[in-house]
Amino acid sequence: MAAVISITGLLKSFGRSMALDGLDLEVSEGEVHGFLGPNGAGKSTTLRILLGLLRADAGTVRVLDGDPWRDVVTLHRRIAYVPGDVSLWPGLSGGEAIDLLGRLRGGLDDSRRAELLETFELDPTVRGHAYSKGNRQKVAIVAALSSNAELLILDEPTSGLDPLMEASFRQEIRREKAKGRSVLLSSHILAEVESLADRISIIRRGKVVETGSLEQMRSHARTNVAATLSDGTAKLAATPRLTAVPGVDSLRLDGSRVHFSVDAAGLAAAMNVLSGLGVSALTVTPPSLEDLFLQHYGERGGQGRPQ
Amino acid sequence: MTGRHALTHPTGTQAAGTANTRSPLAGTPLTGTMALLRHAVRLDRWKLLPWLLVIGIFPTVSYSVYGSLFSTPLEAKALQLSLGTNPAFSLLFGPATDLGTAAGFTAWRVQMFGMFFAALMAVFTVTRHTRAAEESGRAELLDSGVVGRHARLASAVVLAWLASAAVTVLVGLALMVAGSPPAPAFALGSTFGGMGLAFAGVAAVTAQLGSSGRTANTLAATVLGVSYLLRGLGDTLDDSQWLLWTSPMGWAEKIRPASENELRPLLLLLAAALALAVLAAWLESRRDFGMGLIAPRGGPARGRLGTWGLTARLNRGAFLTWAVVFVALGSVYGLVATTMSGIFRDNPFVRQMIAFRLATEEQLLFAFVEVLLLVLAFIGGVFGIQVILRFHTEEDEGRAEWLLSEPMSRLSYVVPTIVLAALGPAVGMAAGSAALATSARLAGSELDTAKVVFQGVAEVPALWLAAAVALFLVGLAPRARAGAWLLLVYWLLLTMFGPVLKAPDWLLSTSPFHVVPNVMESSPDWLPVGWTLLLSAVLLVAGLAGYRRRDLLSR
Repeated sequence: MAAVISITGLLKSFGRSMALDGLDLEVSEGEVHGFLGPNGAGKSTTLRILLGLLRADAGTVRVLDGDPWRDVVTLHRRIAYVPGDVSLWPGLSGGEAIDLLGRLRGGLDDSRRAELLETFELDPTVRGHAYSKGNRQKVAIVAALSSNAELLILDEPTSGLDPLMEASFRQEIRREKAKGRSVLLSSHILAEVESLADRISIIRRGKVVETGSLEQMRSHARTNVAATLSDGTAKLAATPRLTAVPGVDSLRLDGSRVHFSVDAAGLAAAMNVLSGLGVSALTVTPPSLEDLFLQHYGERGGQGRPQ
Repeated sequence: MTGRHALTHPTGTQAAGTANTRSPLAGTPLTGTMALLRHAVRLDRWKLLPWLLVIGIFPTVSYSVYGSLFSTPLEAKALQLSLGTNPAFSLLFGPATDLGTAAGFTAWRVQMFGMFFAALMAVFTVTRHTRAAEESGRAELLDSGVVGRHARLASAVVLAWLASAAVTVLVGLALMVAGSPPAPAFALGSTFGGMGLAFAGVAAVTAQLGSSGRTANTLAATVLGVSYLLRGLGDTLDDSQWLLWTSPMGWAEKIRPASENELRPLLLLLAAALALAVLAAWLESRRDFGMGLIAPRGGPARGRLGTWGLTARLNRGAFLTWAVVFVALGSVYGLVATTMSGIFRDNPFVRQMIAFRLATEEQLLFAFVEVLLLVLAFIGGVFGIQVILRFHTEEDEGRAEWLLSEPMSRLSYVVPTIVLAALGPAVGMAAGSAALATSARLAGSELDTAKVVFQGVAEVPALWLAAAVALFLVGLAPRARAGAWLLLVYWLLLTMFGPVLKAPDWLLSTSPFHVVPNVMESSPDWLPVGWTLLLSAVLLVAGLAGYRRRDLLSR
């Protein structure tokens, strides 16, 4: 599949602070790509560079086979954007704002617009300054989704939405994907990314530290295992035999239950040990996105945590 | 947030020192006022400083040059007699009650100016920390902390009061340093400070009424405008002295610095300030966060705006307001100009003061009209800068980023703004000078309409330069954009008061308003206007180049 976004070695600093420090990112055509990181990690800066709003200091950035800084107008015909913190014109109604954006790109799909207004229960006659945060966000979402852009760039689009609206949003993104559109979804909401994204990039301090599908990420992450040993005498043997398996870690014995985590390479061996010991109950939990995320942030003392 | 600021000592204003002493503001609705006040002082120190300096220093300059203006006390007395009987000057600047002393002359020269600026300073300060803060979401964060219901309002009003007190002290001390006795010095300072006190109260109330910072500011500025008009009429019309008691500006004028030094009206201003603040607090508890008492109306579900329509829409309010101001001021000035005819005829001194090089009566009158047109021109300058800075607000508040993610180049985004900033002030000047000439003719004056409009339009390149400076700053150094205002104020002071204060020619020529020739002259010198145009074009091109190349500011 062709890449709609391809970034290598991107550098961007604001004064003395380094916002992006050699970032690499690749988004393929037709995929929903989750862009995960806490506030201040450089997500918005990356998106703004992709939109030609900021200029890269160094590195190569290609969007839909164009240069986002130089080919602004031609590229933007094919891109729709939802800002992270939508600010509306105080005197303009939501409907006017949606139509203004639509008109600038040469028209929008009216039936899709009406349908989205209904889905998101948005009143288009309210003036900009009277909308709540969530409703401002909806205005931008409706404007972006009722365009026929091939690439959607969404910067924390669901901040301020209630859970029901968040569910509607996920539904709509799946529909966009089914139409063959590519989506770059920046977020710090793990559940949203987990349920929508085909592939995920985790950004930390201006660098992508891990990228791939959730399965790929899991395959080289640790699995959590909890087993209840059927035979009391096996408890004595459990600790030394499991410790001997390479890749087993955080081993803990709690009555007749044994807990440990094991990496992908040691999983088979650890299962063999357990079956030899005799197991009456077994829970194997694949690492959640949260575990993966915290491996990059929590344990290594990253400067931010997901909110 | 409060913890961090509790340790920092506010240094922005003289008055800030008194803010640090423990005040008895401790009840539940006011809990946290002191912490918020410290925070506000920190945020505002650089914003308030230029106001304090301009308002504080200008009277001193006027005071210091008094000695060189009049060679004999008799000359000053003659001016006072002619000005005292002239309704035009009473309307614009207030009555000249005592020009025989430097303090009296200074009071007359700077009084209106100082009262206006002090009131505006107070209004902007209060709105910034109340309504505008709510609008931008800054307030939500602060309000969710341990602060009482009225703490933010109280901190904003107290900050404006402290700034007003600082103005009073600054004017008083600066004048004393220049050699004035303390009584008139502090009386003049009190007229400024008193206006600041009262209009902080006015702004506190308008902040509850309007649902946006712009509405709140506009409402308060309207009160100021009406106040100015009421006192002007009270000073001008026969048997209308009572009108002076109908508005804060009239009360402040009643202090009559230098001639009477009557401080009792100050108590009235103080009482009004307190009463308005209490009223504002009462209104505040009757509305929801972020909402105004004037309920916002709904809007259309569909729209047909493009960038041109959007630009027109965003500036519509300002455009209508300025159109009314241009035509209204032009008409009033037309009447004023007519009353001048009589005064020229029987007053050789004023004749000499205003136009000593000119001969015929028509030329004399025209020289006066030129001064009135200058006032209109500065309003045009404000309009142009405002349009450009409105454009920057879009970027500042994150909407430009959203629009520029659409298929539109930065150049096509900015072009409608430039066209409006060029056309708006030009149309305003033409309309204002036409209104002036028309009302003067209707009142029986012999002014040539075409020449008046021509003179008015001759000021337009200077307005373009003001707007071009603003665009240049927005394009290349957006953080310094307020410099455009400072420059305009500098030009205003220099052109209006420079000649009276005998500033050297090279200094006067740094103002594009000063170099505009009189079109009545036999061979007007248009070269400086050409330079103004050229400089505007250069600044425009540089500003555009900068805007196209720079990073968009992110929030």
